[in-house]
Amino acid sequence: MPFKTQKLDTAEALTLEWILQNKHYKLTLDKKQCVGCQICSLACPKEAIKIQKQPKVQGEKVKKATVDVDLAKCIFCGICDITCPYGAVKVTLNDSRNINIVEKESFPELVRNIKIDTRNCPKDCEVCVEACPLDQLTISRVTFDGKPVENLAALSPSQRRHVVVSVNIPKEKCPTCKACEYKCPAGVIKMGKIFEGKIAIDQSKCPAGCHDCVDVCPITDTLTFVDGKVQVNEATCVYCGACKVVCPIDEALTVKRTRVLHTPVHSGTWNKALERLTSPMDAVKELKSIGNKKAQEMVKKRAVTEEVIR
Amino acid sequence: MSQPETPSNLSTKPQTEDLRIGVFVCHCGLNIAGTVDIKQVVEYAKTIPDVVFVKENRYTCADPGQEEIRNAIKEQKLNRVVIAACSPRMHEATFRRTVSEAGLNPFLYEMANIREFASWCHPSTPQEATERAKDAVRMAVAKARLLMPLQTIEVPVTNKALIIGGGIAGMNAALDLAEMGFKVYMLENTQSIGGHMAALDKTFPTLDCSICIEGPKMVDCGRHPNIQIFAYSDLVKVEGYIGNFKVKIRKNPRYVIPQRCTGCGECKDVCPIEYPNEWDMNLGTRKAISVPFDQAVPLIYAINKDYCIECFKCVDVCGERQAIDFEQKAEEVDIEVGAIIVSTGFDVYLPYDMPLLGYGKYPNVITSMEFERLILAAGPTGGKVLRQSDGQKPHSVAFIQCVGSRDKNKYPYCSNYCCMYTLKHVVQLKEKYKEDVEVYVFYMDMRTPGKGYEEFYDRARERGVNFIRGRVSRIEEDPKTNNLTLYSEDANLGHPIEVNVEMVVLATASIPKKGSDEIARILNLSRGADGFFMESHPKLKPLDAPTDGVFFAGACQGLKDIPASVSQGSGAAARAATVISKPKWKIEPIISIVDETKCRNKTAKCGVCVDKCPYGAIKAEPNKAATIITASCHGCGTCVAECPQHAITQMHFTDAQIMAQIRAALERDPEDKILAILCNWCSYAGADLAGTSRFEYPPSVRAIRVMCSGRVDREFILEAFRLGAGMVLVGACHLPYDCHYISGNYKMKARTDALKGMLTKLGMSPQRFRVEYVSAAEGIHYAEVIKEIDADMKALGKEKIKEENAKLKPTLENMLKRWKKT
Repeated sequence: MPFKTQKLDTAEALTLEWILQNKHYKLTLDKKQCVGCQICSLACPKEAIKIQKQPKVQGEKVKKATVDVDLAKCIFCGICDITCPYGAVKVTLNDSRNINIVEKESFPELVRNIKIDTRNCPKDCEVCVEACPLDQLTISRVTFDGKPVENLAALSPSQRRHVVVSVNIPKEKCPTCKACEYKCPAGVIKMGKIFEGKIAIDQSKCPAGCHDCVDVCPITDTLTFVDGKVQVNEATCVYCGACKVVCPIDEALTVKRTRVLHTPVHSGTWNKALERLTSPMDAVKELKSIGNKKAQEMVKKRAVTEEVIR
Repeated sequence: MSQPETPSNLSTKPQTEDLRIGVFVCHCGLNIAGTVDIKQVVEYAKTIPDVVFVKENRYTCADPGQEEIRNAIKEQKLNRVVIAACSPRMHEATFRRTVSEAGLNPFLYEMANIREFASWCHPSTPQEATERAKDAVRMAVAKARLLMPLQTIEVPVTNKALIIGGGIAGMNAALDLAEMGFKVYMLENTQSIGGHMAALDKTFPTLDCSICIEGPKMVDCGRHPNIQIFAYSDLVKVEGYIGNFKVKIRKNPRYVIPQRCTGCGECKDVCPIEYPNEWDMNLGTRKAISVPFDQAVPLIYAINKDYCIECFKCVDVCGERQAIDFEQKAEEVDIEVGAIIVSTGFDVYLPYDMPLLGYGKYPNVITSMEFERLILAAGPTGGKVLRQSDGQKPHSVAFIQCVGSRDKNKYPYCSNYCCMYTLKHVVQLKEKYKEDVEVYVFYMDMRTPGKGYEEFYDRARERGVNFIRGRVSRIEEDPKTNNLTLYSEDANLGHPIEVNVEMVVLATASIPKKGSDEIARILNLSRGADGFFMESHPKLKPLDAPTDGVFFAGACQGLKDIPASVSQGSGAAARAATVISKPKWKIEPIISIVDETKCRNKTAKCGVCVDKCPYGAIKAEPNKAATIITASCHGCGTCVAECPQHAITQMHFTDAQIMAQIRAALERDPEDKILAILCNWCSYAGADLAGTSRFEYPPSVRAIRVMCSGRVDREFILEAFRLGAGMVLVGACHLPYDCHYISGNYKMKARTDALKGMLTKLGMSPQRFRVEYVSAAEGIHYAEVIKEIDADMKALGKEKIKEENAKLKPTLENMLKRWKKT
């Protein structure tokens, strides 16, 4: 049988496949984890990903935007997989993650600076687990001889003292909101954000009583609706932009990313992705820092032509 | 583009000098004289106005006979010559030479056919035969009065050739022409020359490695100083005519500068993106910057922008060589050539629309071309035949023949080489996996008509392959094991059978190349019912396209295997060389010319002639008179008959000349006559054959020759009936493909169908006007037709015919108003 393509859209996942004689490419979008932000569609070099705003039903909470991938355009390069801050997209080749672009240094990996030093962990503390808005963080405890602890209360005080606590954060799924870091009473977790940026709400422009942004924000307490106004707590914002996608008024909400933490790379694909994820000026800043003059000029040239087109 | 000017010697104005016509009547031994009373004919000829000299010869075509003509021209100052002898199809060229040797323009002579059309076909009625001969002479003299001197047109020739399609046929044509010393351009729309053969593993029946024998030829093409390859390029436009084609080619952007690419492949190694490789039947992948296969010629990498993510890793690694240019644009190139060889090849049918076979649904059902890529060592599996479902070696494989071919619902023709490549596959599979694999072949007929082919079939049978005569009706898959069950019948045993196998290979039909219609449109080629290009003549001009200067090689003209394609490539090269080896190309001046003062296109949007010309030789630009590309005109005269303004004239077959012949033919007792207007290539030749074969038919017929039935103007028929003709016959080549001018017979049919309806409405008996299709081989048919018409005429009776004609006459005279003046 020849080359076969396949697209399957279910309530749980969207899957795209290329089936060749001995190569099987697969893209899986986990719809539960997807928050409907724009990151993947901005990063996609083939413009294969479309974000679709869901119609709002009066009186109901706004639904998060859905993501659709065009099978005719997708080339299974894996950039969406790499850039998704929530780890909602997986691109595999013969069932293992397709990171060819990373291996060939055509694209960086995002850097999630997460440092966990559990020496000071209170043995029975679960604050971080509760703090994680995505329920990704787990804690495991083992006795000094390596046996998993089933019931902490059943142990003797000396045994308790020797319990080793570990905090597990699945890196590729963590958007680095730092909620756990802020809540931790012992300063165990230190986290650097993937994206640096700015979020601002012009409350005067918000439609009365609108809290669509609050409804879709996956990080609890980043956006809150207090006294009829939306308030921002920038400390935990991951700048994913899911709120911006659903905001009905253009100027009411702005999300800007200014920097992306990533492994070092020298690649046109990344420069373009960076430009779209941040802004041409921010991209130029990064390129300046690594001394890539040619790429800086290309970014500027593109910015100018886009300006002209506009 | 510039066209050759209509030669100044082509004038439609009649001559003003005094006519001095010489008539030469040939005895042809007793061939003519045995039946026709030559004395009577000679005496009669002397009485025809403008005839100043009449002479009889025993054999006009022999040297003494020709000498007499030459002398008479000089001594009697003859300015027109009529030779009453055999068929012009026999000796027209001979006497043209004779008269021109005497200083007379060769187009100032006319033949009267009194052998095939009189003595031979009416042996038992010598007096009627003699009358027919007299009428033939009178008709010839009538035409001769209006003949005009014509010069053979010469056009310069560009001694270069273009080959469209770089498969094995095209490569051979290119190499042969290049070796003869001609400059050759090769146009290939994929990234490498080589064609299908480059994708094959082994070739039958010798099992030698395909790329090993083709590779050196590809390299030769790439290196030959006389060959320039335009790979990854498309044909945009072709203008001009034989010897002088102007071709526009579009070079698609590779984003790699050919002069700088060294073919080292470092870019491919750093490229992170893969996509399905069409050269691998999409079984394997290639990089976004790559060559389709390692032996590609030209060895220039190309970037596929549909897949490239522009990381520029290739630019970095290419470094100083700077061969990569992301800004590259498509580039149009103009070239001039004298001849074009079309060798565009074929495509392989993928049977997605035959759901009962499960192709595209069951992973272990593949086509033969895919099998070829699997068994090829350089293929995606490294030469291992593996199932797609689990990557395991199959222990039983069934081959199904004629998938799509010889199928009335798909492609009715036989695809020619499928039996042989399946035999090759089964032999290869048996030799590779030995007893470990059970092989079945389901076939309708095993066709092995080639050198060493039947012996190869024996070899397959000796390997223990199960040959089952039967057509597989459906295939079912076991969803757990992905194994397949075939339901068929065994025609030899006469009962249904089921066979379980682990893999199925479909020998699918080969079909006309995608884009053939585009090539046909650009080059004005026609395609047969099967979609392959039509040659000029299936037997004698198998390599010639109907457009002069265009030739065919390989499977684009009809499916053929490698040795046949190679032979055709060389054959087409030889045919092309007959054109481009000459400094000048001669064109018969019997072409059409437009009277600019009459052309309606100057004031209105007309263009009827443009649509009707089978060769696309006419151009009509808005507000300008239509122009005819002299060298593209084949002289069928269809446009002349179609022009609503009578603005077009066909030289040597002008309206006035043919009208004069009609009037001469119907001068005496028109009600008893059958006027036949016959096309030169089929029906006139058929009538000749009736004479040669001595098939006797009634002598009431008077025949006029035109080059094509498409030339038959409505006015000719109307004039014949106005003059009181008993019956009228138009003879043409058989529909659909026999017409020597592609489609003149169709144009004639449309015209005469309407005319017949009109005449019938006006009260004419329908049997009085007939259109018959007679091939050059159907002498007996012609004789039968004339017998039938004659019988019809007699049955109607002279009185009835006269009565009908009287009723028709006022209307016809009104319709023929424009002739009143003359």
